Amino acid sequence: MTPGRSSEEDSVTRVARNWAVRMMRRVCPPSIYEEIEGDLIQRFERERATLGEGTARRRLTWSAIRFLRPGIVLRHQWNLNITSPTMIFNYLTIAWRIMRRNTGYTVINILGLALGMTGALLLGLWVTNELSFDQFHQDGDRVHIVWNREKQQGGDVSCWSATPRVLATTLQSDYSAVEQAVSYADYNDSYLFTVGDRHILKNTANFVDPGFLSVLSFPLIRGDVNTALADPNSIVLTESFARQLFGEHEAFGGEITMAQGEYKIPFTVKGILKDLPSNTDFHFDFLLPFSFIEKNFGRETNWSNNSVITLVKVKGGVSAESLGEQIRDLKKKNLKGEETELFLYALERNHLYSQFENGVPSGGRIEIVRMIGLLALILVLIACINFINLSTARASKRTKEIAVRKVTGAFRGALVLQFLCESILVALLAGIISLGAVYFLLPAFNTLIQQSLRVELTSMAFWLFLGITVLIVGLLAGGYPALYLSSLSPINIFKGGWLELGRNRIRSVLVVLQFGFALTLIVSTFVVFKQTKFLQQRNIGYDRANLIYQYLTGKLSVNFPAYREALLSTGFVTSVTCTSSPITQRMSNTSGMKWRGKDPGNNTVIERFAVDQHLSETMGVQIVQGRDLDLVKFPSDSTGALINEAAARVMKLDNPIGEIIEDSGQPWHIVGVVKDFVFTSPYRRVEPIVMQGAKVGAHMAGVVHLRLNGRRSIREAIDAISRVAIKHNPDYPFEYQFVDEEYARKFANEETTLAITTIFSGLAIFIGCLGLLGLSTYLIEARMKEIGIRKVLGGTTVSIVRLLTHHSLRPIVWAIVLFSPLAWWAMHWWLQSYEYRIHITWWIIPMAALLLLLMAMTTITFQIYKAANINPTATLKAE
Amino acid sequence: MAREFLGEFEELVLTMVAALREDAYGAAIADEIQIRLSRDVNLSAVHVTLYRLEDKGYIKSSMGGATKERGGRRKRIFSITSAGMATLKAMREARIDLWKLVPQLKLIVG
Repeated sequence: MTPGRSSEEDSVTRVARNWAVRMMRRVCPPSIYEEIEGDLIQRFERERATLGEGTARRRLTWSAIRFLRPGIVLRHQWNLNITSPTMIFNYLTIAWRIMRRNTGYTVINILGLALGMTGALLLGLWVTNELSFDQFHQDGDRVHIVWNREKQQGGDVSCWSATPRVLATTLQSDYSAVEQAVSYADYNDSYLFTVGDRHILKNTANFVDPGFLSVLSFPLIRGDVNTALADPNSIVLTESFARQLFGEHEAFGGEITMAQGEYKIPFTVKGILKDLPSNTDFHFDFLLPFSFIEKNFGRETNWSNNSVITLVKVKGGVSAESLGEQIRDLKKKNLKGEETELFLYALERNHLYSQFENGVPSGGRIEIVRMIGLLALILVLIACINFINLSTARASKRTKEIAVRKVTGAFRGALVLQFLCESILVALLAGIISLGAVYFLLPAFNTLIQQSLRVELTSMAFWLFLGITVLIVGLLAGGYPALYLSSLSPINIFKGGWLELGRNRIRSVLVVLQFGFALTLIVSTFVVFKQTKFLQQRNIGYDRANLIYQYLTGKLSVNFPAYREALLSTGFVTSVTCTSSPITQRMSNTSGMKWRGKDPGNNTVIERFAVDQHLSETMGVQIVQGRDLDLVKFPSDSTGALINEAAARVMKLDNPIGEIIEDSGQPWHIVGVVKDFVFTSPYRRVEPIVMQGAKVGAHMAGVVHLRLNGRRSIREAIDAISRVAIKHNPDYPFEYQFVDEEYARKFANEETTLAITTIFSGLAIFIGCLGLLGLSTYLIEARMKEIGIRKVLGGTTVSIVRLLTHHSLRPIVWAIVLFSPLAWWAMHWWLQSYEYRIHITWWIIPMAALLLLLMAMTTITFQIYKAANINPTATLKAE
Repeated sequence: MAREFLGEFEELVLTMVAALREDAYGAAIADEIQIRLSRDVNLSAVHVTLYRLEDKGYIKSSMGGATKERGGRRKRIFSITSAGMATLKAMREARIDLWKLVPQLKLIVG
């Protein structure tokens, strides 16, 4: 205790310094604070004497904390009684007049916000669509997909969702917790649909159990959910496929002939489905019942053939975890030597979270969705920063108004409300503009990202979302300016007090933030562009130009030798190879192949591919060892095989030629090794492939690749091939694909990412530059007198330009310094998702920085140049 | 106009304002309640109730003079309005009327 001070004085300082009291002072309305503090002091004083220092202090703290209650905090009276409609109307009128008086400033503000909101709305629509995938199924929370989990040789755990057909029937009959279990198969095979004289060829067929339509909510327009697929020869069509087949005729109850290979089977249309929504991962034009296969080929009971997706609907009130536990070892029980465990994964998580790393869910598409959502936020933020900076920088224009309002009795709260009204008005105008823009831009955006997003103008949720966005943008953009402007003191203003114009630290920080985001986006655009080009230009190991493929339909597979000769004799085709699948698609894979010296623990998955002969000639694949398959010179090549270099490495065979590989009991002798070529994914390392010879059989070798003669016209070639095909197979239309186009389709995702990053980075930079333009224009205007004086005192144009440029560009340089590591790290993270990827070269960041500086310079140079050249008399004479 | 009802604590505080007259301010009321009813009341509760009663028009307030005891902080002195007094009286009378309906002790014994 300080001597000479009375105990009362000491109590007062002790109370005033107490943290709880200080906190209370912040929230307590000033009009009642004094009496409360007085009461606290009085009580503390008394209790200190009776209960001692420590207890008194504890009780003081507690009492003060208890004052943080609505009854006290909400007594800020001015908050409640200024919201009269008249005042709001006055604020809006003033706001409107100010906006009209400063057209340039208003345009920059509204345009910036409108651009930001348009971008954010478009991205928001995409995000909403992604989040809605397969969320619309009734009782969707009870529907699960059965996944497999298996420990690999290296100790890693891999997961996949293909399961045996027999699983669904077993689950349905043996487990009481299962309400329904169905198989969903997506078979690659060609089916010819004939109705009258219409023929349509489909290359995928979807087989399901009858319960499929009740597990998932794809509504039927015609037909009954329970009986539509009950009959083995029934078929369910989607609305648009039915229209393609039947035209204007009634499809429901109609007869369809479906041909596969040599079979021709009649089916009756027992159901018409509403066209599938775009936000589902199930894609099909028609559904066939499994009972059809089972009636004709018998029930499949093989537990090792993973060929279907198994969907399980759990009974209400039963936990999926306990069912998952029960079925975990089902595969092991039914199959000797099987190591695979089963688990359930919710259908609703399938679209966004179906990536597994080492047996545990590790995100998936949700990461992209989050990134895009973040991008939308950043766009809005950049636009809001423009608004904030312009409003605070222009404060001096409003000071007189603020001072007059304060002197005539406006509380600070009223001024805050006024400025918020203004910013919400601006946000509202921007919102209306962006709504229009979204409406007109959406078709183009859809084409760009290959989606079919729609604006639900009739949905309350959409308008609510829009309203909330406008409100949030208004508050975000107007909040700080409102607090800043309303804090100005009228005395200072009237005395002509000096307003800090250029040195507002918050403003600089915001500009740094804005351009930091812009830098990050430029770097991302560069990296995404380079990575996409890198993938597209990857040496894929075969010549995809002038190469077409077609499915062997109808009589073509039987008459293949004659068809082949006829094609070659046209002179348009130089080489023909029959394969199991298009070279751009995998057929199947296995870890069960055997070879001499195979480590028994080695369960590397090897791709199967079937080739009859002339692989190198047709595809342009290089043979590095041995020779190509050739059935004329070496008839024994029907049991021959080619392997790629990756397979040779896996098998650790020093001289693979002549070695035997056994697959499902069939031995294949290796005749050659081919250079690695990209077979499945252009993002990954090349997988080991074993290409088995013609012995595979006609039913497996359903695709033919044709090497076109590069010296002849492609159009004529297609015409000639089509004539030959139709002559040999009159019942089927001639359909073909170019391998290069098919290959290019693998990059759809990258193209989308590239398009989104490019456009939205451009947008972000544009909005940022718009703000910079407004800000620098205003700051230069405010320094006109200074420039005039400098010139009068002998400052050169160059020195003034340097001064102003330095001032405007400093935050951008800071942005570059601070955000470069972030940009590098973000792109490093993105590239991790590619096995085959570029390294970020060091100069990408300096280049992006240079580009950013250049754009900023371009934006402000004209203003600065004009200012530096101004005649000082023009600015100095008026006072 | 529907009559406004007072809560138990509100009535207590209102009565205290009426009783303490020139000395009716937050801390004093809290202390009085503690002394006379042995009821530990929180200071903030008293304050909030006083403000609420003022909003309802049962009491009015003015700032009193500063005293050294409170580090120079002034007190807000509350005084009961005629509306407040009327309500208080009405509540008291209503309660006495009700009390008369309760069978008295002597009747049970007798």
